[in-house]
Amino acid sequence: MKHVKTLNTRNLKESMKKGGCGECQTSCQSACKTSCTVGNQTCENK
Amino acid sequence: MVHQYKNNGFNIVLDVNSGCVHVVDDLVYDIIELYQEKEKDTDSGEVFEAMRSKKTEDTDEAEIKEAISEVTKLIEDEVLFSEDIYKDYIFDVKKRKTVVKALCLHIAHDCNLKCKYCFAEEGEYKGKRALMDYETGKAALDFLIANSGSRHNLEVDFFGGEPLMNFEVVKKLVAYGRSKEEEFDKKFRFTLTTNGILLNDDIMEFCNKEMDNVVLSVDGRKEIHDMMRPTANNKGSYDIIMPKFQKFADSRNQDKYYVRGTFTRNNLDFAADVLHLADMGFKQISMEPVVSAPEEPYSIREEDIPKIKEEYDKLAKEMLKRRKEGKGFNFFHFMIDLSGGPCVAKRLSGCGSGTEYMAVTPWGDLYPCHQFVGNEEFILGNVFDGVKRTDLQDTFKECNVYSKPKCQECYAKYYCSGGCAANSYNFHGHINDAYDIGCELQRKRVECAIMMKAWEAEQE
Repeated sequence: MKHVKTLNTRNLKESMKKGGCGECQTSCQSACKTSCTVGNQTCENK
Repeated sequence: MVHQYKNNGFNIVLDVNSGCVHVVDDLVYDIIELYQEKEKDTDSGEVFEAMRSKKTEDTDEAEIKEAISEVTKLIEDEVLFSEDIYKDYIFDVKKRKTVVKALCLHIAHDCNLKCKYCFAEEGEYKGKRALMDYETGKAALDFLIANSGSRHNLEVDFFGGEPLMNFEVVKKLVAYGRSKEEEFDKKFRFTLTTNGILLNDDIMEFCNKEMDNVVLSVDGRKEIHDMMRPTANNKGSYDIIMPKFQKFADSRNQDKYYVRGTFTRNNLDFAADVLHLADMGFKQISMEPVVSAPEEPYSIREEDIPKIKEEYDKLAKEMLKRRKEGKGFNFFHFMIDLSGGPCVAKRLSGCGSGTEYMAVTPWGDLYPCHQFVGNEEFILGNVFDGVKRTDLQDTFKECNVYSKPKCQECYAKYYCSGGCAANSYNFHGHINDAYDIGCELQRKRVECAIMMKAWEAEQE
Protein backbone atom coordinates (compact mmCIF):
# COMPACT_ATOMS: atom_id res chain seq x y z
CA MET A 1 0.00 0.00 0.00
CA LYS A 2 1.19 3.47 -0.83
CA HIS A 3 -0.49 5.43 1.93
CA VAL A 4 -0.50 2.86 4.71
CA LYS A 5 2.22 0.90 6.41
CA THR A 6 0.86 -1.78 8.71
CA LEU A 7 3.22 -2.78 11.47
CA ASN A 8 3.96 -6.40 12.11
CA THR A 9 1.34 -7.13 14.73
CA ARG A 10 -0.18 -10.28 16.14
CA ASN A 11 -3.87 -10.20 15.31
CA LEU A 12 -5.59 -10.61 18.65
CA LYS A 13 -8.43 -12.52 17.05
CA GLU A 14 -6.03 -15.17 15.80
CA SER A 15 -4.75 -15.61 19.33
CA MET A 16 -8.18 -16.87 20.41
CA LYS A 17 -7.50 -20.12 18.56
CA LYS A 18 -4.74 -21.47 20.73
CA GLY A 19 -4.49 -18.89 23.48
CA GLY A 20 -5.19 -19.15 27.15
CA CYS A 21 -2.58 -21.76 28.13
CA GLY A 22 -1.69 -19.69 31.19
CA GLU A 23 2.07 -20.29 31.08
CA CYS A 24 2.83 -16.60 30.72
CA GLN A 25 4.29 -14.54 33.50
CA THR A 26 2.03 -12.98 36.10
CA SER A 27 1.85 -9.29 35.31
CA CYS A 28 2.82 -7.96 38.69
CA GLN A 29 5.89 -10.13 39.19
CA SER A 30 7.97 -8.36 36.58
CA ALA A 31 8.70 -4.87 37.77
CA CYS A 32 5.56 -2.96 38.39
CA LYS A 33 3.79 -3.92 41.60
CA THR A 34 1.64 -0.79 41.46
CA SER A 35 0.07 -0.87 38.01
CA CYS A 36 -1.04 -3.52 35.58
CA THR A 37 1.07 -3.85 32.50
CA VAL A 38 0.21 -6.72 30.23
CA GLY A 39 0.94 -5.55 26.70
CA ASN A 40 4.68 -6.01 27.09
CA GLN A 41 4.55 -9.60 28.23
CA THR A 42 5.79 -12.42 26.14
CA CYS A 43 3.60 -15.30 25.04
CA GLU A 44 5.17 -18.61 26.03
CA ASN A 45 3.05 -20.61 23.60
CA LYS A 46 4.31 -19.54 20.20
CA MET B 1 -13.06 0.86 17.86
CA VAL B 2 -10.25 2.87 16.31
CA HIS B 3 -7.84 5.21 18.04
CA GLN B 4 -5.85 7.61 15.89
CA TYR B 5 -3.24 10.09 17.04
CA LYS B 6 -0.19 12.01 15.92
CA ASN B 7 3.04 11.71 17.80
CA ASN B 8 6.62 12.62 16.93
CA GLY B 9 5.76 13.09 13.25
CA PHE B 10 3.90 9.78 12.89
CA ASN B 11 0.21 9.41 12.07
CA ILE B 12 -0.82 6.31 13.95
CA VAL B 13 -4.03 4.34 13.69
CA LEU B 14 -4.71 1.60 16.22
CA ASP B 15 -7.47 -0.84 15.44
CA VAL B 16 -8.28 -1.76 19.01
CA ASN B 17 -10.07 -5.08 18.57
CA SER B 18 -7.56 -6.69 16.22
CA GLY B 19 -4.57 -4.95 17.81
CA CYS B 20 -3.34 -3.94 14.35
CA VAL B 21 -1.35 -0.74 14.02
CA HIS B 22 -1.21 1.28 10.82
CA VAL B 23 1.14 4.15 10.14
CA VAL B 24 -0.56 6.33 7.56
CA ASP B 25 -0.04 9.52 5.59
CA ASP B 26 -2.06 12.69 6.18
CA LEU B 27 -4.58 11.84 3.50
CA VAL B 28 -5.49 8.44 4.92
CA TYR B 29 -5.43 9.88 8.42
CA ASP B 30 -8.13 12.38 7.41
CA ILE B 31 -10.12 9.71 5.58
CA ILE B 32 -10.16 7.48 8.66
CA GLU B 33 -11.22 10.45 10.72
CA LEU B 34 -14.15 10.89 8.37
CA TYR B 35 -15.09 7.25 8.76
CA GLN B 36 -14.99 7.71 12.52
CA GLU B 37 -17.49 10.57 12.22
CA LYS B 38 -19.72 8.52 9.96
CA GLU B 39 -20.11 4.72 9.85
CA LYS B 40 -17.51 2.24 8.71
CA ASP B 41 -19.80 1.05 5.90
CA THR B 42 -20.27 4.58 4.60
CA ASP B 43 -20.35 4.61 0.82
CA SER B 44 -16.88 5.37 -0.53
CA GLY B 45 -18.42 7.85 -2.97
CA GLU B 46 -19.71 9.86 -0.04
CA VAL B 47 -16.28 9.79 1.58
CA PHE B 48 -14.73 10.88 -1.70
CA GLU B 49 -17.06 13.87 -1.97
CA ALA B 50 -16.32 14.89 1.61
CA MET B 51 -12.57 14.61 0.99
CA ARG B 52 -12.73 16.48 -2.27
CA SER B 53 -14.33 19.41 -0.55
CA LYS B 54 -11.43 19.47 1.93
CA LYS B 55 -8.86 19.02 -0.81
CA THR B 56 -5.63 20.95 -0.68
CA GLU B 57 -3.74 22.07 -3.77
CA ASP B 58 -1.28 19.21 -3.89
CA THR B 59 -3.78 16.35 -3.67
CA ASP B 60 -5.31 15.14 -6.87
CA GLU B 61 -8.56 13.25 -7.12
CA ALA B 62 -6.93 10.02 -8.27
CA GLU B 63 -4.83 10.03 -5.15
CA ILE B 64 -7.89 10.51 -2.92
CA LYS B 65 -9.57 7.58 -4.64
CA GLU B 66 -6.48 5.44 -4.20
CA ALA B 67 -6.26 6.32 -0.50
CA ILE B 68 -9.94 5.54 0.04
CA SER B 69 -9.50 2.17 -1.64
CA GLU B 70 -6.62 1.38 0.72
CA VAL B 71 -8.81 2.23 3.70
CA THR B 72 -11.70 0.11 2.45
CA LYS B 73 -9.27 -2.77 1.90
CA LEU B 74 -8.20 -2.55 5.55
CA ILE B 75 -11.84 -2.58 6.60
CA GLU B 76 -12.55 -5.60 4.40
CA ASP B 77 -9.53 -7.40 5.83
CA GLU B 78 -10.91 -6.74 9.33
CA VAL B 79 -7.83 -4.87 10.46
CA LEU B 80 -9.63 -1.53 10.69
CA PHE B 81 -12.95 -0.91 12.45
CA SER B 82 -12.95 -4.62 13.29
CA GLU B 83 -15.72 -5.95 15.49
CA ASP B 84 -15.41 -6.79 19.15
CA ILE B 85 -15.90 -10.54 19.11
CA TYR B 86 -14.62 -11.14 22.62
CA LYS B 87 -17.75 -10.29 24.60
CA ASP B 88 -18.98 -13.87 24.31
CA TYR B 89 -15.53 -15.33 24.64
CA ILE B 90 -15.17 -13.72 28.06
CA PHE B 91 -17.73 -16.14 29.48
CA ASP B 92 -15.31 -18.94 28.72
CA VAL B 93 -12.53 -16.94 30.32
CA LYS B 94 -14.67 -16.43 33.44
CA LYS B 95 -15.59 -20.09 33.62
CA ARG B 96 -12.01 -21.22 33.20
CA LYS B 97 -10.44 -23.28 35.90
CA THR B 98 -7.69 -21.16 37.35
CA VAL B 99 -4.56 -22.45 39.01
CA VAL B 100 -2.17 -20.64 41.28
CA LYS B 101 0.93 -19.74 39.33
CA ALA B 102 2.63 -17.05 41.33
CA LEU B 103 3.15 -16.07 44.94
CA CYS B 104 4.50 -12.88 46.38
CA LEU B 105 6.20 -13.95 49.59
CA HIS B 106 6.38 -11.22 52.20
CA ILE B 107 9.56 -12.60 53.57
CA ALA B 108 10.08 -9.60 55.86
CA HIS B 109 7.55 -7.14 57.21
CA ASP B 110 10.33 -4.87 58.25
CA CYS B 111 12.53 -2.42 56.43
CA ASN B 112 15.81 -0.57 56.89
CA LEU B 113 14.63 2.46 54.94
CA LYS B 114 11.84 4.89 55.76
CA CYS B 115 10.58 5.70 52.29
CA LYS B 116 7.94 8.37 52.54
CA TYR B 117 5.59 6.97 49.92
CA CYS B 118 5.72 3.32 51.01
CA PHE B 119 2.34 1.61 50.55
CA ALA B 120 3.60 -1.00 52.99
CA GLU B 121 4.00 1.66 55.70
CA GLU B 122 7.72 1.16 56.08
CA GLY B 123 7.36 -2.55 55.69
CA GLU B 124 4.83 -3.23 58.40
CA TYR B 125 1.59 -3.22 56.36
CA LYS B 126 -0.58 -1.80 59.15
CA GLY B 127 0.55 -4.68 61.38
CA LYS B 128 3.54 -5.67 63.41
CA ARG B 129 7.10 -6.23 62.35
CA ALA B 130 7.67 -9.83 61.43
CA LEU B 131 9.96 -12.13 59.48
CA MET B 132 8.67 -15.20 57.69
CA ASP B 133 10.08 -18.38 59.17
CA TYR B 134 11.28 -21.29 57.07
CA GLU B 135 8.33 -23.55 57.94
CA THR B 136 5.80 -20.96 56.75
CA GLY B 137 7.78 -20.37 53.56
CA LYS B 138 7.96 -24.08 52.90
CA ALA B 139 4.21 -24.40 53.40
CA ALA B 140 3.76 -21.57 50.88
CA LEU B 141 5.84 -23.36 48.25
CA ASP B 142 3.97 -26.62 48.95
CA PHE B 143 0.67 -24.74 48.58
CA LEU B 144 1.85 -23.35 45.26
CA ILE B 145 2.91 -26.74 43.91
CA ALA B 146 -0.32 -28.37 45.07
CA ASN B 147 -2.54 -25.70 43.51
CA SER B 148 -0.71 -25.11 40.25
CA GLY B 149 -2.30 -27.92 38.23
CA SER B 150 -0.33 -28.74 35.13
CA ARG B 151 1.36 -25.38 34.90
CA HIS B 152 5.09 -25.89 34.63
CA ASN B 153 6.56 -22.50 35.48
CA LEU B 154 5.92 -21.27 39.01
CA GLU B 155 6.84 -17.75 40.04
CA VAL B 156 7.87 -16.75 43.51
CA ASP B 157 8.80 -13.19 44.34
CA PHE B 158 10.66 -12.48 47.55
CA PHE B 159 9.16 -9.20 48.63
CA GLY B 160 8.86 -7.09 51.73
CA GLY B 161 9.50 -4.85 53.49
CA GLU B 162 13.07 -5.60 52.68
CA PRO B 163 13.66 -9.27 51.88
CA LEU B 164 17.41 -9.10 52.49
CA MET B 165 16.60 -8.62 56.19
CA ASN B 166 15.63 -12.29 56.13
CA PHE B 167 18.03 -13.59 53.52
CA GLU B 168 18.91 -16.87 55.22
CA VAL B 169 15.28 -17.94 54.86
CA VAL B 170 15.30 -16.82 51.21
CA LYS B 171 18.28 -19.07 50.54
CA LYS B 172 16.74 -22.05 52.30
CA LEU B 173 13.45 -21.61 50.45
CA VAL B 174 15.19 -21.47 47.10
CA ALA B 175 16.95 -24.73 47.95
CA TYR B 176 13.66 -26.26 49.07
CA GLY B 177 11.89 -25.18 45.87
CA ARG B 178 14.68 -26.56 43.69
CA SER B 179 14.53 -29.88 45.57
CA LYS B 180 10.89 -30.27 44.54
CA GLU B 181 11.19 -29.35 40.86
CA GLU B 182 11.97 -32.74 39.43
CA GLU B 183 9.48 -34.67 41.55
CA PHE B 184 6.57 -32.45 40.51
CA ASP B 185 7.80 -31.45 37.03
CA LYS B 186 7.88 -27.77 37.95
CA LYS B 187 10.31 -24.97 37.37
CA PHE B 188 10.55 -22.22 39.95
CA ARG B 189 11.28 -18.76 38.68
CA PHE B 190 12.43 -16.82 41.70
CA THR B 191 12.62 -13.06 41.80
CA LEU B 192 13.68 -10.63 44.49
CA THR B 193 12.90 -6.99 45.09
CA THR B 194 15.42 -5.08 47.18
CA ASN B 195 16.37 -1.59 48.29
CA GLY B 196 20.05 -2.58 48.15
CA ILE B 197 21.11 -1.54 51.66
CA LEU B 198 22.23 -5.04 52.67
CA LEU B 199 23.35 -6.13 49.24
CA ASN B 200 26.86 -7.62 49.12
CA ASP B 201 28.98 -9.77 46.81
CA ASP B 202 27.76 -13.06 48.26
CA ILE B 203 24.13 -12.08 47.84
CA MET B 204 24.76 -10.93 44.28
CA GLU B 205 26.45 -14.21 43.47
CA PHE B 206 23.56 -16.18 44.94
CA CYS B 207 20.99 -14.09 43.06
CA ASN B 208 22.86 -14.40 39.78
CA LYS B 209 22.66 -18.15 40.13
CA GLU B 210 19.09 -18.45 41.39
CA MET B 211 17.01 -15.37 40.65
CA ASP B 212 15.30 -15.11 37.30
CA ASN B 213 14.85 -11.40 37.83
CA VAL B 214 15.79 -8.85 40.46
CA VAL B 215 14.10 -5.51 41.02
CA LEU B 216 16.39 -2.84 42.45
CA SER B 217 14.64 0.14 43.98
CA VAL B 218 16.18 3.50 43.10
CA ASP B 219 14.40 6.72 42.23
CA GLY B 220 16.89 8.41 39.91
CA ARG B 221 18.87 11.56 40.66
CA LYS B 222 20.57 11.59 44.05
CA GLU B 223 18.60 14.54 45.43
CA ILE B 224 15.29 12.97 44.35
CA HIS B 225 16.19 9.53 45.67
CA ASP B 226 17.46 10.87 49.00
CA MET B 227 14.40 13.07 49.52
CA MET B 228 11.97 10.12 49.44
CA ARG B 229 14.18 7.18 50.45
CA PRO B 230 15.98 8.12 53.67
CA THR B 231 17.59 5.68 56.08
CA ALA B 232 16.27 5.21 59.63
CA ASN B 233 18.44 8.11 60.84
CA ASN B 234 17.24 10.36 58.04
CA LYS B 235 20.34 10.23 55.90
CA GLY B 236 20.11 9.70 52.16
CA SER B 237 20.52 6.16 50.87
CA TYR B 238 21.66 6.90 47.30
CA ASP B 239 25.41 6.71 47.98
CA ILE B 240 25.00 3.39 49.77
CA ILE B 241 23.05 1.64 47.07
CA MET B 242 24.12 3.14 43.74
CA PRO B 243 27.59 1.55 43.40
CA LYS B 244 26.18 -1.80 44.48
CA PHE B 245 23.34 -1.66 41.98
CA GLN B 246 25.76 -0.74 39.19
CA LYS B 247 27.95 -3.68 40.05
CA PHE B 248 24.93 -5.99 40.34
CA ALA B 249 23.50 -4.95 36.96
CA ASP B 250 26.87 -5.48 35.27
CA SER B 251 27.29 -8.86 36.93
CA ARG B 252 23.95 -9.88 35.38
CA ASN B 253 25.20 -8.73 31.97
CA GLN B 254 22.69 -5.87 32.03
CA ASP B 255 19.83 -8.33 31.69
CA LYS B 256 17.14 -9.93 33.83
CA TYR B 257 16.86 -7.08 36.28
CA TYR B 258 15.15 -3.71 36.59
CA VAL B 259 16.18 -0.64 38.42
CA ARG B 260 12.77 0.53 39.48
CA GLY B 261 11.90 3.97 40.72
CA THR B 262 8.83 5.80 41.84
CA PHE B 263 8.14 9.35 40.79
CA THR B 264 5.92 11.70 42.73
CA ARG B 265 4.64 15.24 42.54
CA ASN B 266 8.09 16.28 43.75
CA ASN B 267 9.69 15.20 40.49
CA LEU B 268 7.21 15.57 37.69
CA ASP B 269 10.32 16.04 35.53
CA PHE B 270 10.96 12.32 36.04
CA ALA B 271 12.37 11.87 32.53
CA ALA B 272 15.53 13.38 34.03
CA ASP B 273 15.57 10.58 36.61
CA VAL B 274 15.14 7.87 34.00
CA LEU B 275 17.93 9.42 31.94
CA HIS B 276 20.10 9.72 35.02
CA LEU B 277 19.74 5.98 35.57
CA ALA B 278 20.62 5.40 31.92
CA ASP B 279 23.65 7.67 32.34
CA MET B 280 24.71 5.57 35.31
CA GLY B 281 24.92 2.62 32.95
CA PHE B 282 21.62 0.84 33.57
CA LYS B 283 19.93 -0.76 30.57
CA GLN B 284 16.70 -2.04 32.16
CA ILE B 285 14.78 0.79 33.75
CA SER B 286 11.33 1.17 35.23
CA MET B 287 9.90 4.35 36.71
CA GLU B 288 6.35 4.37 37.99
CA PRO B 289 3.99 7.08 39.17
CA VAL B 290 3.38 6.95 42.90
CA VAL B 291 -0.03 5.63 43.88
CA SER B 292 -1.06 7.21 47.14
CA ALA B 293 -3.94 8.84 48.96
CA PRO B 294 -4.84 12.18 47.36
CA GLU B 295 -4.20 14.10 50.59
CA GLU B 296 -0.49 13.20 50.60
CA PRO B 297 1.56 16.22 49.50
CA TYR B 298 3.56 14.09 47.04
CA SER B 299 0.49 12.51 45.40
CA ILE B 300 -0.06 12.86 41.70
CA ARG B 301 -3.08 15.06 41.03
CA GLU B 302 -5.24 15.50 38.03
CA GLU B 303 -3.67 18.84 37.23
CA ASP B 304 -0.26 17.14 36.97
CA ILE B 305 -1.35 14.93 34.06
CA PRO B 306 -0.43 17.31 31.19
CA LYS B 307 3.09 17.76 32.56
CA ILE B 308 3.53 14.00 33.03
CA LYS B 309 2.36 13.35 29.48
CA GLU B 310 4.88 15.88 28.19
CA GLU B 311 7.58 14.07 30.13
CA TYR B 312 6.65 10.74 28.58
CA ASP B 313 6.89 12.32 25.11
CA LYS B 314 10.22 13.86 25.98
CA LEU B 315 11.52 10.56 27.29
CA ALA B 316 10.35 8.61 24.24
CA LYS B 317 12.08 11.02 21.86
CA GLU B 318 15.30 10.99 23.86
CA MET B 319 15.25 7.20 23.99
CA LEU B 320 15.00 7.01 20.21
CA LYS B 321 17.83 9.51 19.85
CA ARG B 322 20.01 7.45 22.16
CA ARG B 323 19.10 4.25 20.39
CA LYS B 324 20.26 5.76 17.13
CA GLU B 325 23.54 6.67 18.80
CA GLY B 326 23.98 3.11 20.03
CA LYS B 327 23.19 4.09 23.62
CA GLY B 328 19.71 2.59 23.85
CA PHE B 329 18.04 1.24 26.98
CA ASN B 330 14.71 -0.32 27.87
CA PHE B 331 12.01 1.53 29.74
CA PHE B 332 9.55 -0.96 31.21
CA HIS B 333 6.44 1.09 30.56
CA PHE B 334 7.30 1.70 26.91
CA MET B 335 7.89 -1.95 26.19
CA ILE B 336 5.17 -3.39 24.06
CA ASP B 337 5.23 -6.62 22.16
CA LEU B 338 3.04 -6.10 19.10
CA SER B 339 4.07 -9.17 17.17
CA GLY B 340 4.28 -11.78 19.92
CA GLY B 341 2.51 -10.32 22.91
CA PRO B 342 0.01 -12.07 25.12
CA CYS B 343 -3.09 -13.78 23.75
CA VAL B 344 -6.48 -12.17 24.08
CA ALA B 345 -7.48 -14.43 26.98
CA LYS B 346 -4.64 -12.95 28.99
CA ARG B 347 -5.49 -9.43 27.89
CA LEU B 348 -9.11 -9.80 28.95
CA SER B 349 -8.63 -11.55 32.23
CA GLY B 350 -6.61 -9.06 34.18
CA CYS B 351 -3.57 -9.48 36.37
CA GLY B 352 -4.76 -12.67 38.03
CA SER B 353 -4.75 -11.26 41.55
CA GLY B 354 -6.69 -13.42 43.98
CA THR B 355 -6.71 -16.42 41.67
CA GLU B 356 -3.44 -16.98 39.82
CA TYR B 357 -1.45 -14.62 41.96
CA MET B 358 -1.54 -14.21 45.74
CA ALA B 359 0.53 -12.62 48.44
CA VAL B 360 1.63 -14.46 51.58
CA THR B 361 2.26 -12.67 54.88
CA PRO B 362 5.12 -13.65 57.21
CA TRP B 363 2.68 -15.76 59.23
CA GLY B 364 1.14 -17.44 56.17
CA ASP B 365 -2.10 -15.56 55.46
CA LEU B 366 -3.08 -15.42 51.81
CA TYR B 367 -4.21 -12.12 50.25
CA PRO B 368 -5.30 -11.40 46.65
CA CYS B 369 -2.09 -9.40 46.13
CA HIS B 370 0.62 -7.54 48.01
CA GLN B 371 -1.35 -4.31 47.89
CA PHE B 372 -4.27 -5.76 49.86
CA VAL B 373 -2.05 -7.07 52.66
CA GLY B 374 -3.05 -5.57 55.99
CA ASN B 375 -6.69 -5.12 55.02
CA GLU B 376 -8.01 -8.18 56.84
CA GLU B 377 -11.35 -8.36 55.09
CA PHE B 378 -9.34 -9.54 52.09
CA ILE B 379 -7.73 -12.55 53.76
CA LEU B 380 -8.44 -15.48 51.44
CA GLY B 381 -7.12 -18.21 53.74
CA ASN B 382 -3.65 -19.35 54.64
CA VAL B 383 -0.89 -21.51 53.23
CA PHE B 384 -1.50 -24.30 55.76
CA ASP B 385 -5.24 -24.78 55.19
CA GLY B 386 -5.58 -23.31 51.70
CA VAL B 387 -8.13 -20.83 50.34
CA LYS B 388 -11.27 -20.58 52.48
CA ARG B 389 -12.92 -17.50 51.03
CA THR B 390 -13.85 -18.91 47.64
CA ASP B 391 -16.63 -16.29 47.46
CA LEU B 392 -14.04 -13.53 47.60
CA GLN B 393 -11.85 -15.39 45.16
CA ASP B 394 -14.77 -15.56 42.72
CA THR B 395 -15.18 -11.80 42.76
CA PHE B 396 -11.55 -11.49 41.71
CA LYS B 397 -11.94 -14.20 39.09
CA GLU B 398 -14.86 -12.34 37.53
CA CYS B 399 -12.91 -9.11 37.38
CA ASN B 400 -11.99 -8.51 33.74
CA VAL B 401 -12.06 -5.92 31.00
CA TYR B 402 -15.80 -6.39 30.44
CA SER B 403 -16.74 -6.17 34.11
CA LYS B 404 -15.43 -2.61 34.27
CA PRO B 405 -17.72 0.00 32.75
CA LYS B 406 -14.90 2.51 32.38
CA CYS B 407 -12.87 0.15 30.19
CA GLN B 408 -15.51 -0.23 27.50
CA GLU B 409 -14.61 2.86 25.55
CA CYS B 410 -10.90 2.80 26.32
CA TYR B 411 -8.46 2.06 23.53
CA ALA B 412 -5.78 0.84 25.95
CA LYS B 413 -7.90 -1.87 27.56
CA TYR B 414 -6.05 -4.75 25.92
CA TYR B 415 -2.69 -3.42 27.13
CA CYS B 416 -3.50 -3.07 30.83
CA SER B 417 -6.28 -5.70 30.93
CA GLY B 418 -8.50 -3.52 33.05
CA GLY B 419 -5.89 -2.12 35.38
CA CYS B 420 -4.98 -2.77 38.98
CA ALA B 421 -7.72 -4.13 41.26
CA ALA B 422 -6.05 -2.70 44.37
CA ASN B 423 -5.86 0.79 42.90
CA SER B 424 -9.51 0.54 41.95
CA TYR B 425 -10.43 -0.55 45.47
CA ASN B 426 -8.35 2.16 47.13
CA PHE B 427 -9.85 4.97 45.09
CA HIS B 428 -13.43 3.77 44.57
CA GLY B 429 -14.14 1.12 47.21
CA HIS B 430 -14.54 -1.83 44.83
CA ILE B 431 -12.41 -3.73 42.37
CA ASN B 432 -14.47 -3.22 39.21
CA ASP B 433 -13.75 0.46 38.82
CA ALA B 434 -10.52 2.04 37.65
CA TYR B 435 -8.01 4.51 39.08
CA ASP B 436 -8.59 7.38 36.69
CA ILE B 437 -5.21 9.11 36.86
CA GLY B 438 -3.50 5.76 36.35
CA CYS B 439 -5.68 5.10 33.29
CA GLU B 440 -4.87 8.44 31.76
CA LEU B 441 -1.15 7.81 32.13
CA GLN B 442 -1.44 4.24 30.90
CA ARG B 443 -3.10 5.48 27.71
CA LYS B 444 -0.29 7.94 27.14
CA ARG B 445 2.35 5.27 27.64
CA VAL B 446 0.64 2.99 25.13
CA GLU B 447 0.69 5.85 22.61
CA CYS B 448 4.40 6.44 23.17
CA ALA B 449 5.22 2.72 23.03
CA ILE B 450 3.42 2.29 19.71
CA MET B 451 5.04 5.42 18.29
CA MET B 452 8.43 3.91 19.13
CA LYS B 453 7.45 0.78 17.20
CA ALA B 454 6.50 2.95 14.24
CA TRP B 455 9.92 4.57 14.46
CA GLU B 456 11.60 1.17 14.55
CA ALA B 457 9.67 0.08 11.45
CA GLU B 458 10.83 3.20 9.66
CA GLN B 459 14.47 2.34 10.38
CA GLU B 460 14.15 -1.07 8.70
